[in-house]
Amino acid sequence: MRVDLALFAHLSGFQPDGRGGRSSRPLELEEGATVGDVASLLGLPDEPRIVLLNGRHAEDSTALSEGDRLAIFPPVAGG
Amino acid sequence: MAREILRVDMSDLSVKREPLPAAWGRYGGRALTDAIVFAEVPPDADPLGPDNVLVFAPGILGGTSAPNGGRISVGAKSPLTGGIKESNSGGQAGHALARNGIAALVVTGVPADADARYCLVIENDGSASLSRVDEWAGLGNYELADKIAETRPEGDRYATIQTGPAGEAGAKASGIAFSDPKGYPNRFAGRGGLGAVMGAKGLKAIVVSDKGHGFLEHADKDAFQAALKRFASALKEHAVTGQALPAYGTNVLTNILSEAGGLPTRNFSEGSFEKADDIGGERQAETIKARGGHSHHGCHTGCTIQCSRYWVDKDGHYKTKGPEYETAWSFGADCGIGDLDEIAELDRACGDLGLDTIEMGATMAVYMESGKIAFGDADGALKALMSGANGGEPGRVLWDGAAATGAAFGVARVPVVKNQALPAYDPRPVMGIGVTYATSTQGADHTAGYTITANILNVGGSVDPLKPDGQAELSKNLQIATAMLDSLGFCIFVAFAVLDIPEAFAALHELAEAHTGETWDPDALMQLGRETLTFERVFNEKAGFTAADDRLPEFFYTEKLPPHDAVFEVSDADLDSVFDFVPETAKQMGLA
Repeated sequence: MRVDLALFAHLSGFQPDGRGGRSSRPLELEEGATVGDVASLLGLPDEPRIVLLNGRHAEDSTALSEGDRLAIFPPVAGG
Repeated sequence: MAREILRVDMSDLSVKREPLPAAWGRYGGRALTDAIVFAEVPPDADPLGPDNVLVFAPGILGGTSAPNGGRISVGAKSPLTGGIKESNSGGQAGHALARNGIAALVVTGVPADADARYCLVIENDGSASLSRVDEWAGLGNYELADKIAETRPEGDRYATIQTGPAGEAGAKASGIAFSDPKGYPNRFAGRGGLGAVMGAKGLKAIVVSDKGHGFLEHADKDAFQAALKRFASALKEHAVTGQALPAYGTNVLTNILSEAGGLPTRNFSEGSFEKADDIGGERQAETIKARGGHSHHGCHTGCTIQCSRYWVDKDGHYKTKGPEYETAWSFGADCGIGDLDEIAELDRACGDLGLDTIEMGATMAVYMESGKIAFGDADGALKALMSGANGGEPGRVLWDGAAATGAAFGVARVPVVKNQALPAYDPRPVMGIGVTYATSTQGADHTAGYTITANILNVGGSVDPLKPDGQAELSKNLQIATAMLDSLGFCIFVAFAVLDIPEAFAALHELAEAHTGETWDPDALMQLGRETLTFERVFNEKAGFTAADDRLPEFFYTEKLPPHDAVFEVSDADLDSVFDFVPETAKQMGLA
């Protein structure tokens, strides 16, 4: 299956194509892959993350589906 | 050093110092501005008349080396909301006042000559005097800062507090500018029209010299240093205060709010902006670096988080600070403008005129919705904004904020609570912040109880932003904690570390106790927060506010916001529970 992956702040360098940037791009995954599987596949640093799956918060255990938009942020805040 | 009140009466142009009354001895910052406004301003006073008072107060830890402890509170009755106002700013004045022994600068009365302009100068020996500066009338904040510099002796170190042309004109969206560590008048007590209160008092500028002053001494120096070390380590250690904020600034939020569907776009009609990344913190950081701008520094001396930055134009010249997230949103997504240079131009204009960028961006979006100019028209927005000089239209109407603009141009969708515009989080998909907007004594104000922490950022736990459950309790606890931090003089961004790291929370009362020599513990700190809010709540009740004022505008309950098609679902009963502690606290304080 294919999901649409966007990575932000200092995580953008982990896009598999190595081009960085925040624009989303497709990622091929095996059926049943979870958010945690994507983190492992990309080699994301072991730190708390903010994961938004189709605009809603998701956990590492959340399973992905074809066509999902997956956005991952490091710990950030502002105001 | 004894903490005193410096009282300036603009009616007879007198200046005097007096002891801080014992009843207010444990107050600083917001608690102290509230206590003074509560005691001295009749709730029905005309905000621009002689009975309003304008109070500037550093926090309890102002003047010390406590990290991020140099914020300043400005209090008065607000011309925008009609209620009590505490508007909080960075800049250098908080520390400078505290180091001169001034716990509160209280400005009363109005001058006999409404066209007169005065400058109050506080020298580093604590003496103060008023001088007539009619020639400064109408000056923008940047030129005013230059004029002030010409009056100061070589090698002086001073802070400025200024009102711009919008404040002089009585504009309800005007703010008060504070100089930053480099002397730029770019930090703002922006919200609630306090620039107009300063303008009505004929006070164009305040200068506070703290040349030669070091940090204030502590009751227990060793205990203070030990607590300071633990607090500073926690701020460094936490990923938000130690890494994300210095690297990207507050505007790192643009992309995440857009992804979460909570970035109000084109006057709160959508929740995601297609050009979010073009105006977000990552792009901002890359551009500032490429142009050779200053990418991270504190808004005041002693800040260790360093989320401020300077935007520079294509030739590398300083344009404005930030822009902060709120401004990138208000003139960006909310106005459909997707270019940081265009946003920075509007930010600079507001900074120079002395206008609140949150209120003005939200106002411009309302104006755009009227069809007078199109969404995305940055040139038209700048022209409309600048047209307010000398009473010109439509600018002078816009300068009174979103509610006035909606009324003048027949726009129904006006995002305000208690007449103050909503900031950069839509309350439909982020319901906790909706509780804060609705119930805050300040009008719609994200900083009053920043539920984005648990709603979006997974800081201090997590509460699903798309459900009404638990939002009132979350907002209530954050509003109390925020009032406490504002009274200590801390930047509220320390809360990101305080909420997650127990040693950082403990350090708050340890610092307060070691500095003042009085007993402080977690319960006493929370009581300080409750007392602060109780002053505000009771003042507003006396000014005529009721439960009906603690509601969001109707369209947030009925118009579904894409992409989640969310509406605001927190019940009125939940909203009315937020201040359930007030009657008891008022009784304890003897206000009932």
